[in-house]
Amino acid sequence: MTTRHRLRSLLTLVMINGLIPIRTQPLFLLSLIASPLSFLFFIFIISKGALLAFGVTGGMILTMLSVGTGLQSDLTHYRHDLKFQDIVVASPVEAPVYVAGMALSELVYSLPGLAVFVIIFLLDGLGTPTSAAVLTGVVLLVWAFACALGFTLATWFEDVRETFLFSPLISLGLTVLPPVYYPLSYLPGWAQTAAKFSPTTYAAQLVQGAVGLVSISWETAAVDWVILIGFTVALLVIAAVKARWQEP
Amino acid sequence: MDPAVQVSHLRKVYPTSRGQKPALDDISFSIPPGRVYGLIGRNGAGKTTFVRIAATQLAPTSGSVSVLGMDLETNTREVRSRIACVPQESRPLYFLNTEEVVYLYLKMRGMDAVEARRRTKDAMDELSLTEYAKRQVSRLSGGLRRRALCAMVLASDAEVLFLDEPTTGLDPLARREVWKAVRRTIREHRTIVLTTHYLDEAEALSSRLALIEAGQLKLEGSPEDLRARVRYPYRVMVQDPFPREELEPYGRVSKVEGGHLVFAREADAREVARKGLERGVRVSLGPVSLEDIFLEVVGKSIEEDEPAEDGGGEAYA
Repeated sequence: MTTRHRLRSLLTLVMINGLIPIRTQPLFLLSLIASPLSFLFFIFIISKGALLAFGVTGGMILTMLSVGTGLQSDLTHYRHDLKFQDIVVASPVEAPVYVAGMALSELVYSLPGLAVFVIIFLLDGLGTPTSAAVLTGVVLLVWAFACALGFTLATWFEDVRETFLFSPLISLGLTVLPPVYYPLSYLPGWAQTAAKFSPTTYAAQLVQGAVGLVSISWETAAVDWVILIGFTVALLVIAAVKARWQEP
Repeated sequence: MDPAVQVSHLRKVYPTSRGQKPALDDISFSIPPGRVYGLIGRNGAGKTTFVRIAATQLAPTSGSVSVLGMDLETNTREVRSRIACVPQESRPLYFLNTEEVVYLYLKMRGMDAVEARRRTKDAMDELSLTEYAKRQVSRLSGGLRRRALCAMVLASDAEVLFLDEPTTGLDPLARREVWKAVRRTIREHRTIVLTTHYLDEAEALSSRLALIEAGQLKLEGSPEDLRARVRYPYRVMVQDPFPREELEPYGRVSKVEGGHLVFAREADAREVARKGLERGVRVSLGPVSLEDIFLEVVGKSIEEDEPAEDGGGEAYA
């Protein structure tokens, strides 16, 4: 396959799994932003608006993680119930093109949600060139590792029901326990240690630092970037090595 | 001419709670290019395991398969660019319409829009899907969904197509439409590996056949070869009244409604037919059907699931 063919495959997959399902059922768009907006609503009400900025930055991270769990559910369903992965395997489409196409297609669903958060972000006066750059970088890294994780799990699950089992656990481990919606310092010591095993802790700390919600030194920020990039690279390598494209 | 698919000592073993179960047990054969090659066998015989290995979806335990002269293990990417597959029990994505199933598959394979549109139209026409072109897959019957998948791979530029029970669930008319498209495809010198439960379909389409039972290759060759290798290649239907004991020395006798069916060698079959005519009863003589061959080799009907533990039937070279 030439680069042009790969690009054509990728865009076709975005169409197949992103644009056409939305055309058929526009409610898909609302479904994906429901959770982040619910969290934002609760945080806004309970804090009487004081923690709105945490809700917005956390909401963007949660939206990107939802892309990964959505990808995991879709790919598991396509593999087991429709045998779509088998159709793709026996074709010129390579695994990285398939994953990238499907990951981009899931991103399409999250765009309205992201747009809502970006608007609130700007209206709340959080948008500066630095915060925008940090936010963009973090959101892209979270999207990449969430999709790598989603794809790997999807190729290992033996049944679609396993996704129903794992998705809440993944969400718990990546969005609820880590300080995505609040500062790390709010957690007791043991929980802060535990949170350091989650890549979203570093993602949240970087964004919260960039918009001025918490104070972090440039050394801490540099370490956070290294760890977040390291997590992402590790999950991409795991996806490349451990995901089951051809079944053993 | 080089074979389209070459299979050599292929084994696939699945772990089970009681140890290991061989799904394919040291099978070797070759599939000539530009033909339809039929794989027949009961559910669980190993047909789908073979197709999944040859279509690069499943890794073998040992042995080798080469497609178009390329070893699957070392040339996986090149092989994949030249094959297409309709897996068993596959279904199109339910939110696409019928036309999109075909067109977007071709685009996904890297085909340009003009060519993909032309091939989509041809395939839709050939499989009588044009009137359903804009209908969403979720609103199609099971048979139409299956036809859409067949149209998808037949429209592709793949040189070797794997169709795993492509006509399951289709009505007789729709099956004939798929047959027509398959025949058109092989006129383009492409190779089709077809697994099917319908022995009439296998016989109508395949220039060569492999009969697999319990992971073993029991028979392989053209339909004529298969007939020549069974013990009794002819069948004679003798209407009542005709005493069974007089028929038994000539071959295997089965009681059927209104008479007896005798499976015999050619000379014996002619003798039975002559005797029947002398007695003034109705007689019909002909070569055995694929169903008869299957019954003789496997000892069970193709409709029966779950292969016997010992592999069932007699071993044929």
